[in-house]
Amino acid sequence: MKAMFLFAGVKWVRGCGMWAVEAEDLRKSYPKKIPLPFRRVEWVEAVRGISFRVRRGELFGLLGPNGAGKTTTIKMLTTLLEPSGGTARILGLDVRRNAREIRRRINLVAEGERTLYWRLSAYENLKYFARIYYVPKDEERERIERLLKLVGLWERRNDLVMNFSRGMKQRLAIAKALINDPEVLFLDEPTLGLDVQSAIFVREFIRRLVDEDGKTVLLTTHYMAEAERLCDRIAIIDHGKIIALDTPKGLKKLVREEETIEIRAKNIEPEKMSSSPFKMAVIERNPETGVLRLRAQVDEEELPKLVEWLVRRGVKVLSVERREPTLEDVFIKLTGRGLRD
Amino acid sequence: MILAVVEKEFRMFFRYPLRVISSILVGIVFLLQFVYFGQAVLGGRYSALLEASTGMGDYPTYALIGYVLWWVSVSPMEAYVWGVRRELQRGTFETNVLSPSRLTGLLFGLALSWLLMDSALMAVVFALGAALFDIPVTIPLLLKSLPAIIASLVAFLGFGFIFAGLVMLLKNIGPFAQIFEFAMLFLSGVFFPLAVMPDWVISLSKLFPLTHSVNIVRTLFAGGGYSDVGSSLLWLLALIPLYWGIGYLLFRWAERTTRVIGYGGY
Repeated sequence: MKAMFLFAGVKWVRGCGMWAVEAEDLRKSYPKKIPLPFRRVEWVEAVRGISFRVRRGELFGLLGPNGAGKTTTIKMLTTLLEPSGGTARILGLDVRRNAREIRRRINLVAEGERTLYWRLSAYENLKYFARIYYVPKDEERERIERLLKLVGLWERRNDLVMNFSRGMKQRLAIAKALINDPEVLFLDEPTLGLDVQSAIFVREFIRRLVDEDGKTVLLTTHYMAEAERLCDRIAIIDHGKIIALDTPKGLKKLVREEETIEIRAKNIEPEKMSSSPFKMAVIERNPETGVLRLRAQVDEEELPKLVEWLVRRGVKVLSVERREPTLEDVFIKLTGRGLRD
Repeated sequence: MILAVVEKEFRMFFRYPLRVISSILVGIVFLLQFVYFGQAVLGGRYSALLEASTGMGDYPTYALIGYVLWWVSVSPMEAYVWGVRRELQRGTFETNVLSPSRLTGLLFGLALSWLLMDSALMAVVFALGAALFDIPVTIPLLLKSLPAIIASLVAFLGFGFIFAGLVMLLKNIGPFAQIFEFAMLFLSGVFFPLAVMPDWVISLSKLFPLTHSVNIVRTLFAGGGYSDVGSSLLWLLALIPLYWGIGYLLFRWAERTTRVIGYGGY
């Protein structure tokens, strides 16, 4: 009996620890084919041993290019995928052994707009999810009303989701993810494909969830500015590994200001850039004018060599300026390429 | 939670009256084709040969019972195959999996919704068929048939879990499921007596709950009682735990494997 109390006590203490999310040497491999009995399959590593911890009430970002392993990580942490190795704990609970308990206390805004029932109204969607999350019946109505008002959709509550704009769908998806009042909220590319206004609304909303409601938020993004403005700490992930983890300010310290160069140029063939010996990446293309913005990390000695290298390849350099480093520069410095490459 | 799934599915289905009407029309059209084809082959409505081998000589009654029961019996499988696939395509499947509700419960709710919707549609088809072919149906007769029908449907609700697991794993198994559905149509004596089939087919047909439920209901409609179909009843009761057991075990294996490769979408 005593042992039971002790065990329960240890579990309680672990559950109430300061860490909302803990990942230790977390790994995930996918089979190339469905692993049926007696079938030999090859496995591809998507996440290669990542470790990080997120404090309660922290807004933590996983930043990386497409295919870096962000979504796979989030799916393992939300119990949707079985990790191949390592451990992950949410609110002190093991993702392998305590999946159901974890699911009660977390929620996820998945990537893309098709996570809702388009043939149901906004209200009906939230009612359905309230039921499968076992929201007490006497709280259901009030909670749905509060959430719909919070995301500005109360007036449209009876409209079918299929008639909503992408931004409205995303706001409803966030309301849906708050239906069980989760302690930890996971957001996978929450502003992907949204118009500027909707993206601003979503970002401000996420920040308020942390600052005012004390929620823990872990989001993935490949938007540098979003991660920089929003997150308390950021883990940069590439090829399934965390290559840097710090506050946005701390990360930017990895790049010295005097090394950060922005070049505006024309006549660039991207395939020729890939063989560049310099840490450089295209960060913006203007399809109308053909002008490209390049960011590079080069010191005073390297700068003339870089310009010469570009000119020799027929690139028309329009301007060269020093700039304050951004997270994009951090990524270029760490990987030698840009996020969009 | 199961009721929440049923409510959601009903809302989405009955929100489009045209879809409901077209489902009933499809049901009627297929029934008419089979009944008229059967009558043309038999040379009329009554067949002594049919009565000798099945105990029921009136072909429209024979076909109507078999057809309606077949349609309703395959609906849990349809729900698991097309319903789960639709959720995968919508992207809502993972959202459901993420909830603390058990996946088996959510899927059972889905199958139950489709079963209830198909039952409602088939009740209309049955009523129309009975009126069109002047088949005498009484409420006590229907109530008497209900236990056999329910036992058959319970067996299929369990068996369908195999398909739910396969859909999660392989995604597109619709054609395979259809082959199974149509095999059942021919191997359960829906439109013609099994006596005309080879012995091994007759033996195989005993493994389908539908074979036994149609036999029971036809016997009841022909004026018999449950005591006349004791062996069918026993078969039916034995198949329920067997189908649920196999269905559940295969589903759990598929679910575990799916957690390794990901639920994903389309």
